[in-house]
Order: sequence, then C-alpha cells, then structure tokens
Amino acid sequence: MMQRALLRRFTPSLRRTFSTVEESAAAGMTLNFNLPHESIYVGAKVDQVIVPGVAGEYGVTADHVPLVAQLKPGVLQILHQGTAEAEKYFVAGGFSITHPNSTTDISCPEAVKIDDIDSASVTAAFEAAKSAFSSAEAGSQAAAEAQIDMEVNKAMAFAVGVSLA
Amino acid sequence: MALRASVQRVSRTLPRLMAQAGAARGMATEKQIFNQIQSTKNIKKITSSMKMVSAAKLKGDETRLELAKPFNEWTNALCGKPVHLDDLENITYEELPQKTLIVPITSDKGLCGGVNSFISRSVRDAIGKINAQGKECDVVIIGDKGRSQMSRSFPEKILRTATDIQAPGNFNLAAALSAELTAAGAMNYDAVMIVYNSYVNAAVYHQYYKVIKPMAVEGEGESMVEYEFEPDVKSEIMGDLYEYMLTSQIYYCFMDGAAAEQSSRMTAMENASKNAGEMIDTLTLQYNRARQARITTELIEIISGASALEG
Repeated sequence: MMQRALLRRFTPSLRRTFSTVEESAAAGMTLNFNLPHESIYVGAKVDQVIVPGVAGEYGVTADHVPLVAQLKPGVLQILHQGTAEAEKYFVAGGFSITHPNSTTDISCPEAVKIDDIDSASVTAAFEAAKSAFSSAEAGSQAAAEAQIDMEVNKAMAFAVGVSLA
Repeated sequence: MALRASVQRVSRTLPRLMAQAGAARGMATEKQIFNQIQSTKNIKKITSSMKMVSAAKLKGDETRLELAKPFNEWTNALCGKPVHLDDLENITYEELPQKTLIVPITSDKGLCGGVNSFISRSVRDAIGKINAQGKECDVVIIGDKGRSQMSRSFPEKILRTATDIQAPGNFNLAAALSAELTAAGAMNYDAVMIVYNSYVNAAVYHQYYKVIKPMAVEGEGESMVEYEFEPDVKSEIMGDLYEYMLTSQIYYCFMDGAAAEQSSRMTAMENASKNAGEMIDTLTLQYNRARQARITTELIEIISGASALEG
C-alpha cells in the first residue's frame, strides 16, 4: 500500500520531464531570414536550417549553441516542420547569428530561390568574369572584383548542378 | 467741334494719367495686379503637382521602409537604442566615447520643409556639447542640403560629403556610403553616430540619433561573450560584422530619412498651394476694385464731357 502510494507520487514527475523534452523538440527553432528589399521569413518556426558558412556548411536546430557565422556564396536549406524536402535559396553572402533562445537571424544582401536561377546566364556571366579577370592587372581592384564575380557564379552554377572551372 | 475734340482727347488720356498717378502713389495698377494673379496661379499649379508627385513617391518609400525594418532588426541588440532628439536642451551626449564620427542624413533637393534644418540644428548642438565635454568629433555629411547648411557653421569638422544620391536608395547605395565612411577613417573612431529623421506618418516625423560602437573583442566589456564564432578568429569576423552592421544601419536610417523627406515635402507643397490660393483670392478682390474704379472714372468723364457739351 505504502509502495503503491510512493509509486503514484513518483510517476507524475517522470511523465512531466518527458513532456517538456518533447515540447522543445516539437517547438523547433525560430528563423528570421531577411533581405534589404524583401522579408522572406520573420519569426517562422522551422525544424532545421543548413547554413553555408565560410568555414563549411553546418546545420542549426533548436537549442543550438549560440553562434555567429559569416556566410559564403552558397545554398541555404530550410527544412520546414513536417517536410522532408528542404526549401533551397542561393545566398550571396551575409551573416547568420544563432541566439541562445533558439532564434536564428540570417541577414543577406541578396538571395534567390534555386528554381529562379538560369544556368545559361550563370555560365555566360562566369565566362565574362573569367575574361575580365585575365585582362585585369594582377592585384588591382578590378582583378579582385572579377575574382569575386567568378566565385559567386561558380557557386551559383554548382547549386543548379552545373560545374564550371 | 474743337471742344468735343479736346474732350475726346482728355477722355482718352485721363485714364492713363489716373493710372500713372495711382502707380506713383504706390497703388498697383489693374494690369499689374492681373499679372500678379496669373503668376500666382501658375505657382499654385506647380506646387499642387509637386504635392501629388511627393504623395506618390511617399507610398514607395513607405513600403521600402517597412521592408528595411525587419532586415535591420538583428542590429538593435548590438547597437545603442535610437535616442529621440525632442528637446535639445535635455540631450547631453554623455554616453559618447572620446572620438565620434557624426553622420547626418539630409536630402539633396530642397522645397522639403524643415527636415534638413532640424538635422543641422541637432548636429550643431551636438558638436558644441561634445567639445565642451573635452571629446573629439568629426562629420561626414550625406546630402547636399546638409552640406550647404553645415559648412557655414563648422567647415573644419566636415571630412566628406556624399551628394547627388540616386533615389530610390537600395543596399548597394548603403554599401557605397559605408565604404565612403571607411575611406574617411570610420574604423579609427570609437563610435559612429547617425543623426536622421524618422518617419512616423504623413504628418509627423521625429529626429533620432543612433550610436554604433565597434564591438570589443577582449577584456571587460567584451561583447557577444556567449557566442561561438566561425571562422574561429573572433577579431576578424567582428570587424566584418561591424562593417555589415554599419551598412545595414545606414540603409535603414537612409530609408527612414527618405520617407520623412517626402512626407515633409508633401506638407510643405500643400501649405504653399493653400497660401497661393489665399493670395489669389485677396488679389482678385483688389483687381476687381481697381477694375470697377477704372470703369467708374471713364463713365464720369463721359458724362461730364457730355454735360459740358450741352451746357
């Protein structure tokens, strides 16, 4: 009788701890993804975001360690709640700040949906940047700009499945 | 016969003499008032069309500002809160560090009401108070109107001016402006203070200033202590983050200033049209009185000439 009473007193607390773990995983993380001319997501609840940092790609979920990362031109993948297929954007750079309260701010000067990228114009832009780079004198501003142009176009082409050299 | 001819001659010349006498006395003649009315009507047409153009542009600027707000949201945690410059006497600028770079945002075009004068006044007041506290400051002006107003008061403090800015602004513009600030040596200052007008609604705008400090990488007052950094070198990424944050803030403040400028221009042109309308009414009354006086004078001569002939 005593044992049964004790058991009853213990199990409710055990049940309570389990439910909070489930809640935080189900709540997911909050994403703020903004461009200067468009707010793509403000306070959206998503499962996971895969961010192209300069040191490599990494995924952010709820309760991730607070992190400030600089972004390189690459693909940003957003996994919405309950979907298996990620929504992909090509970002041109920017910063991603993950806060201690499972909120991530991603701020980019420009981003486009992968579906909106035309591989033909990307290849053409890459070739133009390549010739600009070879014709500019080494170490000048024009050479640096052409190099950045080449890198971004190469990353864009890679995102749509075209590999350029 | 000779009498009639002389009366006719007098009746022809008398109005001209009367008008000349009137002009000599300082009264405007009927013709002059008529010209004045015509030119005022033209001005009223111009100001009311300018008001409509501003109203249309304001819509676009409002939308851009609404989008810039969430874009700039993340910087609010890392920068000083915008301080409302409502009563200049109560603002002390004590929280500013030793060397500050002041960036006032003004317009290029005029006829926009008091937007630029308020900013110039605030900057003048700030410089006075900062120097009184023994601190240093310099100014980089954005906008031609600000340059013309402030270059008279403190020309030695102005490092650079950015004029002929293509409206509407976009992020490229903000990036170019922050590159100008860096070229002016913004990284050597302890803080950048942006002074700008903030759009509230079509009738109201306020002046604010924002202080943006480079984030300390080590020691006490180190910012973002609980965050990891990728790449690992915190000082490098903090430098880049500061530049990006500055660009984002300039973008937002510029959008805010542009919307405030358009709303102020709309109000100014509306007032100008209203005043022109009132002036036209007053002048029309004067014109009618002058016209009636002339007609009365002509009638009197004709009648007196006719009675002189009879009698």
